[in-house]
Amino acid sequence: MKRITILAGHYGSGKSEIAVNLAIEESINTLVDIDIVNPYFRSRALRKLLNDHGVQVIESTIENSTGSDLPFISAKGSHPFINKDLRAIYDLGGTELGAKVLMQYRDFIQDREAIDLLVVINVFRPETATVEQIIESIKKLEDTGQIKVTGLINNTNLMDETTEVMILQGEAIIAQVAEQLSLPIRYTFIEETVKTKTHFMGENKSLIRHVAKHWL
Amino acid sequence: MGKVLMKGNEAMALAAIKGGCDAFYGYPITPQNELPEYLSKHMPLQGKVFVQAESEVAAINMVYGAAGAGARVLTSSSSPGIALKQEGISYMAGSELPGVIINVMRGGPGLGGIQPSQADYNQITRGGGNGDYHVLSFAPESLQETVNIVKESFSLADYYRNPVMIAVDGLIGQMMEPVELDQEINEKVSPEKTWAANGESAKRGKINKIVSLSLDPYELEKHNLKLQKKYHEMIANEQRYESILTADAEIIIVAYGTMARIARTAIKSLREEGIKAGMIRPISIWPFPSRAFKNLPTTVKTLLAVEMSLGQMRQDVVLSINGQLPVEFYGRAGGVVPEASEIIDKVKSIIGGHKNEN
Repeated sequence: MKRITILAGHYGSGKSEIAVNLAIEESINTLVDIDIVNPYFRSRALRKLLNDHGVQVIESTIENSTGSDLPFISAKGSHPFINKDLRAIYDLGGTELGAKVLMQYRDFIQDREAIDLLVVINVFRPETATVEQIIESIKKLEDTGQIKVTGLINNTNLMDETTEVMILQGEAIIAQVAEQLSLPIRYTFIEETVKTKTHFMGENKSLIRHVAKHWL
Repeated sequence: MGKVLMKGNEAMALAAIKGGCDAFYGYPITPQNELPEYLSKHMPLQGKVFVQAESEVAAINMVYGAAGAGARVLTSSSSPGIALKQEGISYMAGSELPGVIINVMRGGPGLGGIQPSQADYNQITRGGGNGDYHVLSFAPESLQETVNIVKESFSLADYYRNPVMIAVDGLIGQMMEPVELDQEINEKVSPEKTWAANGESAKRGKINKIVSLSLDPYELEKHNLKLQKKYHEMIANEQRYESILTADAEIIIVAYGTMARIARTAIKSLREEGIKAGMIRPISIWPFPSRAFKNLPTTVKTLLAVEMSLGQMRQDVVLSINGQLPVEFYGRAGGVVPEASEIIDKVKSIIGGHKNEN
């Protein structure tokens, strides 16, 4: 994993769940939640779990005030770009609007090769169901954030109704996007309820749901 | 379209389009913003109307105007925004105009907070605006149920010529769930809108007027009695609920919306421990499904109303059971969502004999 991984994608694509999964499993010490789009189900709600795994959380509301929907971003959000000891994941807000937040960091970015911008895709989200829709959303994201996407993540799922066939369905579409844009599929996340021996494209990881409530 | 994964707010927006919505008028408020956001993109693509009004009051009066012209109209908001719309809703009921209002509830009173709540129960079921009127209202628990009810609500509004409110808490607006948009639903056949002020009536030699003002008290009373007849028809035909594991239950939890989902988890655990808990889940909150409380099995000793509000729905449970059983209560407020364990503890404290006198 690169020193900084920025996760982008349509809202509901699974960015926050993936951010938390990667933060816990990989040698990451900082999670920057700059989602100013979504008022509920944000990775910052898991501060304690993340802290227990040695991950500090930098968030986009005034500290510990989950009840606010002011689009406030802590100045600490730029730290991972400046302090090379930090290994960070950025959890962006949904759609290209979330990428707007990135623009303020442009002047801090020195080691561009240490940064991955990965787009999380679930083809069962109707706004990112086709090759054309996904490519259009990636272009919008790059235009708005003024940064190049470096890889894709297949997170195709219908939550606990996910099957192996569905993940392959997603892979078929996302592989076409990868080919047309010359991008790698960096990870495939597999819903933990899916039992499979298939190796999907990219690094395969089991997705454990931390953000969604168990009764939802 | 097969199953897709959607967020509650966007699923409701798409369901409205599928339900034949011609026009949307609204004003932004958390936690329902994805709904107008989705419609702002997709309504124009379908050649339909999307207007972000200058306020909630403006939006509901635009709904009044478009409904008066015979269109299928939607507005959406969250609790304090719905409070602002109440005047227009009363005018719509008085003028017998159909329209759908989606309320994604948050904590109150006043501006309150942005976290999920069910504290609009009284606002929805006890009027909110002036006069003897009711709003047909449904409070679904899953995105599939929500989508189906939103689609159906346009035909119900047309059939009864009355506003219909979909009441969900913020969690249902914000959560993701697999959903099938094209499930068959039973739609009421809507009569032709011969009453609409759309220019057609003048051709027939009779000018339609849409108005809620009536200065002759005897005429206005007559109009009120006509409305009452319609509300009685709704009470007879639109009570909807689900009874879950009530046949042998010792205690019945009454809960709707997100609370019912949490209660399901609690009941599963309680049953595993041998405690016979069941649930009555109101789907319509006006009319309240009083019918569900008739002829309960004799095993039932207690009812327990559980809400994300402080006893508002409990009043309807008390009225429905009419003194035959005690009605206990557990609730959280202000945007706090109870955990299943809190309900389990409450049930155990009741079963353990620590009953309150009601």
